[in-house]
Amino acid sequence: MRWQRVLRSRFVVVPMVIAATVAAWNVYVTLHAHGLLQGRVVDAAGHPIGGATVILFTHDFVTQVEKARTRTDAAGDFRFDNNDSHLIQLQAEDGSERSPRITIRLWFRAQDRVLQQPLHLAPAA
Amino acid sequence: MTGRARRVLWLRHATLIAISVVMLAPFYWVAKASMTGENIYDYPPHLWPVRSNLFNFVDVWYLIPFPRYLLNSIIVSLIAVAGNLVLNAIAGYALTLPFMGRRSMIVLLLSCTLIPFQATIIPAYLITAHLGLLNSYLGLALPLLSTIVCIFIFKASFDAVPRSLIDAARIDGLGELRILLRVMLPLSTPAIATNVVLSFIWSWNNFLWPLIITRSQDMQTLPLGLARFLSYMEDTTAALYAFVVMVLAPGLLVFLMAQSAFMRGLTTGATKG
Repeated sequence: MRWQRVLRSRFVVVPMVIAATVAAWNVYVTLHAHGLLQGRVVDAAGHPIGGATVILFTHDFVTQVEKARTRTDAAGDFRFDNNDSHLIQLQAEDGSERSPRITIRLWFRAQDRVLQQPLHLAPAA
Repeated sequence: MTGRARRVLWLRHATLIAISVVMLAPFYWVAKASMTGENIYDYPPHLWPVRSNLFNFVDVWYLIPFPRYLLNSIIVSLIAVAGNLVLNAIAGYALTLPFMGRRSMIVLLLSCTLIPFQATIIPAYLITAHLGLLNSYLGLALPLLSTIVCIFIFKASFDAVPRSLIDAARIDGLGELRILLRVMLPLSTPAIATNVVLSFIWSWNNFLWPLIITRSQDMQTLPLGLARFLSYMEDTTAALYAFVVMVLAPGLLVFLMAQSAFMRGLTTGATKG
């Protein structure tokens, strides 16, 4: 009975709840941290652009540095498999056209993410 | 309840609420700034968070070795709490027993509370160095393994235990250590909670001692991490405040868990007789 009372006290329950939450979060992170980034590049009219270059920038303490490049397929889709950062930027370019550099913040390093909004190419200023 | 008594009650509560708001406002502002990143000098200030997000906490976690600092702080604080409970309980109980020079010992201990830690830091450093505990967890916790204030909290609590109970335990054949463990400590949970809260918070917030005795970044604790973070991330208000929240949170949690017993522990003996 005394042990049951001890186990039910907030000094045991609160740390246990925190430990369980941390453990669950770590399991989630392990299952979703493959560094996969997927998205699409479209033109101003919304048509997919094949063969466009997409540049991945990662946060290097105070600046963003280029980490990798890839090209879109015929459907305008691109994919990075090696992102190991939590704070990244993406930019697409194709000839004289370029998209704005968008910042993507992830909840943990190498989090898998499929971009909901495509990168829009526009004539470079 | 009469109308006048009710008015007094309302007035008292309104005053307490107003004081609480004033005291909690800085905490709220830090929490808000950690989520919004707004400049604290913005005018007019936003009372509620605007475009809040929790990504600043993620930045803190990854931009510096936060998990390492956190682990170090937890280990050092646990050692300090354990040391405080064991050593202070024994010392507090000893001070309730009659022995020659007891009064002088109490006066000596009380007078030692007047000496600031900064004045004794060089001898403390030399002793720690001679023990070979520099840059170690035990060395980090060493000055907080026993604190005089907490000894007297235990003493006040033990003084409140009826003498007849201790005499009965002695007649039953219990030694002094078993009296402490079986009789005194179970009756002194508020004092235990007060010791846990105070030693945890003092250890958790300790800055000067870890700054002096740590040699490597791997042994640094959160307050040192905060200073380090501040030195090279001075332009990131939100991340800085997120760091502050992450440093504050464990101490607040421990205090909230033990607050009722903590209050009782501080006032034990105050109303004796």
